Amino acid sequence: MQVACESLTFTRGEFTLSCTGIFGPGLHLVTGRVGSGKTTLALLLADLLHPSSGRVCLEGVERVTLSFQNPEYHVTGATVRAEAASYGADPDAVADAVGLSGRLDDDPFALSRGELKRLHLASLLSMSYDLLVLDEPFSSLDCVQKHRLCRALEERGGGITVIFTHERQILPAVDHLWEVEGGTVRDLGAVPGAIPHWRHAPPYLKQALARGLAPHNITLKDIIEAEAACKTHD
Amino acid sequence: MIEISGLRHQVLSVPSLALEEGDTAVIGPNGSGKSTLLSLLAGLSLPAEGKIMVDGRPPRQVEVGWVSEFPDQSLLFTRVYDEIASPSRFAHLPCAEVTRRVEEAAALVGIEYLLPRTFRELSGGERGLVALATALSSGPELLVLDEFDSHLDAETAGTVAKALETSPCRYCVRCTQEMETAAGADTVLYLAHGAVKHAGTPDQIFPTLKETCFYPNSWRMREHAGRL
Repeated sequence: MQVACESLTFTRGEFTLSCTGIFGPGLHLVTGRVGSGKTTLALLLADLLHPSSGRVCLEGVERVTLSFQNPEYHVTGATVRAEAASYGADPDAVADAVGLSGRLDDDPFALSRGELKRLHLASLLSMSYDLLVLDEPFSSLDCVQKHRLCRALEERGGGITVIFTHERQILPAVDHLWEVEGGTVRDLGAVPGAIPHWRHAPPYLKQALARGLAPHNITLKDIIEAEAACKTHD
Repeated sequence: MIEISGLRHQVLSVPSLALEEGDTAVIGPNGSGKSTLLSLLAGLSLPAEGKIMVDGRPPRQVEVGWVSEFPDQSLLFTRVYDEIASPSRFAHLPCAEVTRRVEEAAALVGIEYLLPRTFRELSGGERGLVALATALSSGPELLVLDEFDSHLDAETAGTVAKALETSPCRYCVRCTQEMETAAGADTVLYLAHGAVKHAGTPDQIFPTLKETCFYPNSWRMREHAGRL
């Protein structure tokens, strides 16, 4: 199973995004500055934009979905119950899992933004996909929900997950790192080898690298473990 | 000083609260009432009960700049230039003054290059920057930012922090899920279930949140490094 970007380009006005590379099974993290082309790549992967040249070639990938950065773009139901059901999810189970059991009959737009994002992500993640593309999944979530989402993503069995995010504090353990810079998508490679080359690494990770640590992955827990291991060997 | 007394509105209940001049960060779980508090401070909604006074005036008599997390929902114009010009044009300022304010605000936020563009061409983060420039263009006394940083990368967030430092507005109240940002504020409010559970300086507030994930990573790392 893989998603291969073959000499992919997309041009809008003066901006061009280009990408060549393969997204295999596992968790991919894509970072880059504001306006660098992350959302454009997300839309191309999910076949919601047509490339100007080249192509996105799916192999063994049938079920594809995309989570937009704005959760309200997904809303189609008039109640929280109908909204969760619209994904094919069990509304009671979803609401229970994200602490919205008392809100099942409310209008989704009566929820706070963070609550709506939670509802959206829990509904989406209750189904299975071969390719799951998430654009800014951590935005609006509080830290409790960010940790919850990290666990859900880490535990997702099989499939290709591509996360586009600016999150700098709470990240899942990932398999592969990518960066987008000025419209060019760079494949940094598999973790942990890719970690030292990651220019958008969160501050806690950069500090750890500067102290000479070699964490196995990118989470704060990995840093603390690397620190303890390094101490033991002294 | 911003003074709140006997406030009740939707989930929110704030019997009494005073905020000094400077940066205030509002933190707390989703659904705790952060956005509700911010919309009342900005004068977008009027409280069901109680009152809010900014230097002795209700928010609607104060020059307020407001930015939401999803500026798509509040922007009015197609072109970036027109959006940033809108507060000045609505105030019937002379053309030369409108131009001056647009250019000054765009330069402050570092988005001069976006002025001729249209919103459709902008990313989520860029839209946030345009909304911030629009809010700053009227020289607000009170700037209210509703989690607008959640779509910004670290470098852009740094540019924004500098722009906010140099802007002359006396009060900046922002809600954020970035605890490192909150740790840099003058005052932190921790909301839960519609109430202000803790209010004070970062050094006063974060120790009470040490057992939660609201404690800043950098503080945790510092202490961890200290222990080893």
